[in-house]
Amino acid sequence: MLNDILIEAKKIAMYFPLTKGIIRQRKIAEIKAVDGVDLAIRRGETLGLVGESGCGKTTLGRCFLQLLRPTSGEVFFEKVDLCRLGDNQLRPVRQGMQIIFQDPFDSLDPRMTAEEIVAEPLRVHTKMRGRELKDKVADLLGIVGLNPSMAERYPHEFSGGQRQRLGIARALSIRPKFIVCDEPISALDVSIQAQIINLLEDLQGEFNLTYLFIAHDLSVVRHISHRVAVMYLGKIVEIANRDDLYQFAQHPYTKALLSAVPIPDPAVEASRERIILGGEPPSPMALPSGCNFNPRCSVGIDLCQQEVPPLHQVGRDHWVACHRA
Amino acid sequence: MEEIIDKAEKPKWSQTREVFNRLSKRITAMIGLVIVLIFLVSAIFAPFLAPYDPLEHSLGHMLAKPSWDYPLGRDELGRCILSRVIYGARISLLIGTMVISIGVLLGAPLGIISAYYGGKVDFIIQRFVDTMLAFPGILLALTLIAMLGVGLANVMIAVGISTIPIYARLARSSVLAIKSRQFVEASRSIGASNFKIILRHLLPNSLSPIIVQSTLHMATAILWAAGLGFLGLGINPPTPEWGAMLNGGRLYIRVAYHVATFPGLMIFITVLGFNLLGDGLRDALDPRLKT
Amino acid sequence: MNSLLRVEDLKTCFYTDAGMVKAVDGISYDLQEGETMGLVGESGCGKSVSALSILRLIPYPPGKITGGKVVFEGKDLLNISEEEIRDVRGNRIAMIFQEPMTSLNPVLTIGLQIGEALEIHRGLNKKETRDEVLRLLRMVGIPDPERRIDDYPHQFSGGMRQRVMIAMALSCSPKLLIADEPTTAVDVTIQAQLLETIKDLTSRLGTAVILITHNLGVVARHVNRMAVMYAGRIIESGPATEVYEHPRHPYTVGLLASVPRLDKPRVGRLVPIDGQPPDLIRLPPGCSFFPRCSHRMQQCSMERPELRIVGAGHLAACLKDLGS
Repeated sequence: MLNDILIEAKKIAMYFPLTKGIIRQRKIAEIKAVDGVDLAIRRGETLGLVGESGCGKTTLGRCFLQLLRPTSGEVFFEKVDLCRLGDNQLRPVRQGMQIIFQDPFDSLDPRMTAEEIVAEPLRVHTKMRGRELKDKVADLLGIVGLNPSMAERYPHEFSGGQRQRLGIARALSIRPKFIVCDEPISALDVSIQAQIINLLEDLQGEFNLTYLFIAHDLSVVRHISHRVAVMYLGKIVEIANRDDLYQFAQHPYTKALLSAVPIPDPAVEASRERIILGGEPPSPMALPSGCNFNPRCSVGIDLCQQEVPPLHQVGRDHWVACHRA
Repeated sequence: MEEIIDKAEKPKWSQTREVFNRLSKRITAMIGLVIVLIFLVSAIFAPFLAPYDPLEHSLGHMLAKPSWDYPLGRDELGRCILSRVIYGARISLLIGTMVISIGVLLGAPLGIISAYYGGKVDFIIQRFVDTMLAFPGILLALTLIAMLGVGLANVMIAVGISTIPIYARLARSSVLAIKSRQFVEASRSIGASNFKIILRHLLPNSLSPIIVQSTLHMATAILWAAGLGFLGLGINPPTPEWGAMLNGGRLYIRVAYHVATFPGLMIFITVLGFNLLGDGLRDALDPRLKT
Repeated sequence: MNSLLRVEDLKTCFYTDAGMVKAVDGISYDLQEGETMGLVGESGCGKSVSALSILRLIPYPPGKITGGKVVFEGKDLLNISEEEIRDVRGNRIAMIFQEPMTSLNPVLTIGLQIGEALEIHRGLNKKETRDEVLRLLRMVGIPDPERRIDDYPHQFSGGMRQRVMIAMALSCSPKLLIADEPTTAVDVTIQAQLLETIKDLTSRLGTAVILITHNLGVVARHVNRMAVMYAGRIIESGPATEVYEHPRHPYTVGLLASVPRLDKPRVGRLVPIDGQPPDLIRLPPGCSFFPRCSHRMQQCSMERPELRIVGAGHLAACLKDLGS
């Protein structure tokens, strides 16, 4: 993989204040959804981002795209810091980065036809209209595996998998370089998931796309990603090449996560060593001192409660945030 | 279970046709629709339908009872009640349309802006709306008429203004519900401007409650105009307006019931019709449609 | 050999604007005491509806159980009175659902909700109920039960709420627990905890379990037997190890092949099942999987395949013998 970085987040933090009062709002607490993340994504790669609900992966994805404006930090896209750009300056940049959403029902306007949905980005960013636009849309529908004759149909007339393809066609229409895939297959049936995964992979090859693939399904992430990052309570706890992460996971949370993934094979399941993680993730408003994971960690030491472990390198391209690794 | 019903492939109709199909399944809604259509036809084609000139006096036939020539009888000035009732529909339609137009065209954008931008904008607009809503409707209308003076135009403006907060609230809650949906976020991620998002996505999707409310409001507007007309604050005579006709016929109710009864009946039936249609629309438009 | 539960040719329909949906189109299976069975399938295959049909929880309109028998402890549940089935629900057969937030009443404390079944079915008084509820909370692993018994559902996390549901379900020591996608809405680490808890408790109490899920991995670990559903019918069933190792229906084969696995080396490309999920109003004649099947033959579109024996205790509804 080339070391050419396409988009990079530096010390990104996204804090949501909880306020009280109507006229003068006092801040009483803060939800640290993303708490100081450095993440660089290389051109042409798929970076998998995994973690459980509340870990901040979805928020981080949106911070990359400036759909949420980070509380602090920088996001460099082709050398320009997006956080410094105003809404108007951001608009042309948006052409280079897009998002595919999780919910194929909710992410399409039910009152627009398939054609209108896919054409919207083209209307915003180009001057294409009329016949030219129609042809382009038909072309895009074909690329994602939909019959162009379905252009006049409404979203409710498509199946879940087909709707997701529409969302992909829409994202692809303006030839972005970077696409955030926010749990794109979680809401789909198992038999359809593989279709969409294959489609995403094909498109990556054909259009030289870079993906940030956010998901909670570790098996799927392993299949599609080149590198994988694991998040817990707003911080990245481990990041490595795919094979290194899955075979040589270092962080206790990563190990527990991998152990918890059920494998569709009774014989294998019966003989597996399971690490059952006790307790629950703490409330993001009351984070533990030191390492976020220490209350649930089975190998914690005193240092873990005192100091937040920084990401340090443990292998070629393998970084872990743990005092014990 | 919802998945099962979802997966049943829906026929390839546009949403309008689907709505109409649902509407036609309810008999009350269809009755309402028929009444409304009759009302609209009378209003629009009044000159062709009315047998006599509604303003023509005939002092020799005051309070004439209904007969073959004059099916609804004549009023206290000898005018044909049927003709006046038909022309009255015109006035009521005019009033209803104007009132709703004022309400929707001024109220809805307020609500939409309030919901979309949120924060302080929302706060200020909502307090303004709250203040307006705190007045009992009729008090507000009467106050405005006191300020503006009587007359058809002022009645429409007064009643119209008093409906603004209702549409503002309605539009606001509609938009709030849609604002957080992913297709709005998708639009933002594409780089569409706020204005375009409001126009292209928020407006079409929030129309349903506004349509339902407008239909129900037609009924209310007609009642209002009739009420104000009855109080003598609305239309100037000799314009045939149902409420004013009711007022005029009030004195003669013992001897000539028909003068007040028929306009009253018209009000009742028309209001009922709009209400039935509005209720039917509400069921047909909501929640089974995925909007 | 008296099974605990015997479902015979169960049929349930939904009458929608678009037409009649055959949600469950004639399924049959046996469940023994203490056995765990996994009911697997994708959305819309009818697995949840079949479970709700057992307890006659199908709302009418638009749904209706149109045929078959559900024999539980010797009685056909579809034929008994309202009062009798109410006695079964929550008492002899309990059910837990996917979304604990909507299954729990947000304005009642969980203590009251768990106690409800106890008061109805076991006639305990207030003090006895409270003690029993505390015992149940401890049993399902909710820390600090004395304090939490008076908390409201929104004060619990998703995983904890599911534990509350489990406590409610097991409060009257039912003979059968139906778990409808109990872990779909929670994270994978919580899922592992919950499933272990369910497994542990039900084996201690001797409760039979029907575990409904679309997750093939979940089924692999936690059930003895499984049945795979497609378009309202069971298309394959048997001991879990058998079905996983030697799947005989092309759908099962396709499903297992299309899911990436952590324990195997990474494949170059996933092998999806072609086509779209079936339209339940306009099912094709013959085998409902025909349009998507890579092993299809002419005959398959004309004849509806019945379940036939393809191995020890292993049935598959396919005309072709994939046994090689």
